Amino acid sequence: MSQSRFKTFKDLPKEHLLGTGTAMCAGCGGLEVLHEIYDILGEKTVIINAAGCMTLLSVYPYTPFRGGWLYTSMASAPAGAQGVRDAMDILLAKGRMSTAEDMETVVLTGDGAAYGMGLSSTSGAIERNLHFLYLCYDNEGYGNTGQQTSGATPHAARTATNRGAVGYPGFKKDLFAIWAAHEPAYVASVIGAEPLDLARKVDLAKNIHGPRLILALAPCPTGWDFEPEETVEIGKLAVQSGVWPLKEYRNGQIKHTKIPKKRIPVEDYLKRQGRFVHLFEPKRNDSLLQEIQTRVDAYWSRFE
Amino acid sequence: MSNHLMLTGNVAAAWGARLAGIDYVPAFPITPQTEIIETLARWIEFGEMEAKFLTLDSEHSMITAAGAAAATGVRVFSATSSQGLLYGMEMLYTVAGWRSPFVLVNVSRGLASPITLEPDHNDIFAARDSGFLQLHCSTCQEIVDGILLAYKMAEDRRVRLPVIVNLDGFYLSFTREPVDIPDADHVAQFLPSFDPFNQGFQAVAPFNEAVAVLGGSSYSYFRYQTHLAAMNAEAVMSECAALFAETFGRQYSAIESYRCDDAEVVFVMMGSFATKAKAAVDSLREAGQAVGLLRPFLFRPFPSKAFREALAGKHGVAVVDQNLAPGLGGVIHTELAAHLYGLSGDKPVLVSFIGGLGGRDIEQEEFFEMAQITQQAADDGHPPPPRLLYTSSELREIKKMQTIALHQGGEKCI
Amino acid sequence: MYRIRFHGRGGQGMKTASRILGTAFFREGYEVQDAPRYGAERRGAPIFAYVRASHNKIFERGVIRNPNLVVVADETLVTMPAAGVMQGVNTTTVLLIHSRLTSREWQDRLRLSNPVCILPLGEEGEAFMAWHFIGVMCAAAAARLTGALSRETFDLALGEELSGLTTSVIEENLVHARWAYDQMENVQGCVHSISPIPASSYMKPDWIDLSFEDAKTSTPAIHRELTSEDVKTGLWRTMRPVINRDHCKSCYWICSTYCPDGAIRVDGDGRPHIDYVHCKGCLVCAKQCPNNAIEAVPEKEGDV
Repeated sequence: MSQSRFKTFKDLPKEHLLGTGTAMCAGCGGLEVLHEIYDILGEKTVIINAAGCMTLLSVYPYTPFRGGWLYTSMASAPAGAQGVRDAMDILLAKGRMSTAEDMETVVLTGDGAAYGMGLSSTSGAIERNLHFLYLCYDNEGYGNTGQQTSGATPHAARTATNRGAVGYPGFKKDLFAIWAAHEPAYVASVIGAEPLDLARKVDLAKNIHGPRLILALAPCPTGWDFEPEETVEIGKLAVQSGVWPLKEYRNGQIKHTKIPKKRIPVEDYLKRQGRFVHLFEPKRNDSLLQEIQTRVDAYWSRFE
Repeated sequence: MSNHLMLTGNVAAAWGARLAGIDYVPAFPITPQTEIIETLARWIEFGEMEAKFLTLDSEHSMITAAGAAAATGVRVFSATSSQGLLYGMEMLYTVAGWRSPFVLVNVSRGLASPITLEPDHNDIFAARDSGFLQLHCSTCQEIVDGILLAYKMAEDRRVRLPVIVNLDGFYLSFTREPVDIPDADHVAQFLPSFDPFNQGFQAVAPFNEAVAVLGGSSYSYFRYQTHLAAMNAEAVMSECAALFAETFGRQYSAIESYRCDDAEVVFVMMGSFATKAKAAVDSLREAGQAVGLLRPFLFRPFPSKAFREALAGKHGVAVVDQNLAPGLGGVIHTELAAHLYGLSGDKPVLVSFIGGLGGRDIEQEEFFEMAQITQQAADDGHPPPPRLLYTSSELREIKKMQTIALHQGGEKCI
Repeated sequence: MYRIRFHGRGGQGMKTASRILGTAFFREGYEVQDAPRYGAERRGAPIFAYVRASHNKIFERGVIRNPNLVVVADETLVTMPAAGVMQGVNTTTVLLIHSRLTSREWQDRLRLSNPVCILPLGEEGEAFMAWHFIGVMCAAAAARLTGALSRETFDLALGEELSGLTTSVIEENLVHARWAYDQMENVQGCVHSISPIPASSYMKPDWIDLSFEDAKTSTPAIHRELTSEDVKTGLWRTMRPVINRDHCKSCYWICSTYCPDGAIRVDGDGRPHIDYVHCKGCLVCAKQCPNNAIEAVPEKEGDV
């Protein structure tokens, strides 16, 4: 990491490449992460998109991008990336395109596609060693349709399809582990609230060949029920409480890039979000809160 | 100089793709098309053909990759059938809307449920509103030629739509017939290299494709333009066919007309079983009956101009649908009736027959009987209700199977 | 038939307003049809909702093209063409605008002689609080304007539509709604039920035959970059972040990196500048600035 050109916060990009004027909610944690990443990846990218909030980044005739964009479907963005990448390689090999014209293929999806419907095409793309970057903005639910429960929804969260006293009874799927099990070129978890950590990881990923995942927790004012101005604060709490580990997978090894020295209680993170209010009101649900804390503690005990 | 070989329909399809100089084959196996992709894979692997072949995780992914590669600017070929075509159905509509020209071969196979392996046309007709053009082959020669014509039509700037070339499973896919393989130079005269035109991702040129469209007026515009492009294809096909004839000496048209000139009654039928109708027509002519066959080769766009010309002066039409839309009936019959209703002047009587579902054979005697009934209907002006071609002995067979499959009140079967 | 349109921004309760009014009419024995209109709906983005009410069965559907009452919760939308506030407004349409301006000022501004009813904003501090209740206030005012809905009926409808909330919250909503209902005393019943467009004398639709245009033109593809910047998302703002240059330490990165929309650029001297044409007013920058150098002030009408 010390080799990165992003050594201090002063090295973060001052130039923002992603256009303004998009229809994402005010305070969107996903948009924050996208613009931070786009600043580093640059305009020689073709973004291959799956159905989700960010599909509405480009609504005819408006686009915030400088390079390419292709909306595919909900389940098959990685297959779209396969087609684009293979075709570019063919054009390059046949001299019908110069290397200066080459573009990075970047898949952009929410957790809905990444954790669920898109797993088949994703698994296939990794298995075929497709050279692509997968950026997942994870707002822990099917956001574009109103925040229904998805494969990424965490235990006890309230969603549009789990409004009861205990919220979602299931558990968040471990997409990082699913990708790592495929032994791809690189996997990293990031968050917009930690831009230096993110910049280093994206810069590293940019220069590696093969399938790479950048998995970004995307605090969502609309879906998680908090004021837009809290987006970064909540992101920081996600990291400080240990709920969102910042780590990398490379060459069979998993390494944490940030280990909170003293983790703050998980409830400090949960109580800021309306989607967990049922854990505190009308009565504290101590057993559920303890359950969540215990799971987080158990995760970190493996690395202490 | 061309090669004259005995080839199955599947291998003929592979040859069509090879001659077309394709760059990319995203693939996924399914009976009865698998031999197509196996042949291509072998040629590519052993250096007989220069292209990239890869297996995707599903047909939905396969069609996405095909459309995306065509949208990037290379010539793409793929193949599927039946359940696979339907699995990717979402993407058929999608890539057509991208105006991404490529050729997809469908080897027709009856649709589940019940799950089966033998052919009929319900799979290909499920795609008829997708925006893909459709060519339907009745011989192995037509498969090679159809694929070349399909690329030419697809890439024409007045069209820019993907094309499905349909061939029937088993009766063409695994059946060998003599096929002329044109030589590469002639093909190059007919089909130059891929014209990217509206497609292509390049670093210098921002290109945001397939963006969301909100608002009915905008959406209507784009959707209708796809329709106008499809409508252009009937005329474009005529031009391509003329050039094809000039280059290779074989004639194609939107509808093949077999012994129809002085016919009073004609069959309308598509696909490989239509050649059986030709055999029946020959026998009927022997017996003194003025019967012919009209075989649509182009089905999307619906060849309305060709039908108008072909049906002029005909009194009775026996439409033999090798498909069935539950609650409606035969697709060709329905579309033909709709087309005729809009015309002025005398119109032939249409009689609907449903036959060949799941590959059920259609006997020569059945053709003779259909001709008889249609002549009668033309004479008295009253078509009988639609008929499923099905005999009492077939029903007896089902009943026998049912005695095995079904228990009656706790008795064991003997 | 009453044909009423509500215009507001996502999050201002226009859907609730239309449902309360719809339910009130329904309870009063009318045939009713109410619906919100979702576009790329995001918090802050313009949305509208509509209500049809009649003593006869309602066969009309869809967006109301000939409203007899247009209710505007957020006056900044009136002059925004994309919001469609003035769509179909004819000489008899009554306008009800939540505003600090007077009827006369609006009539001058819009160059119309239509009746304009004003739902007043409170004082500065009050106005901010009132935004939480603007939906029910608009519904109540609209109810009074029709002259067809009693206070009691309206209160019951409000109680029904907000039944998922706590008693104290419902009570607060009722207080604000009743206040709005009272404000309309002098103009009660100024909105009359009107007949549909006559078939005997209609304006011919301007039909054309679309001709084929080639695929470069006629696909939803955008061949330019950054066209999204034409969209003035700054109009979403209700609060504006303002940088106090005395306190700003030109840290280079915090506000600029964290801004989800990339609407803060940093100049050569390290000073941040907010792009008010696009700033959505999420206030993440204000919240994160370590020197409290960014203050949030209410957006005044006419500022951009």
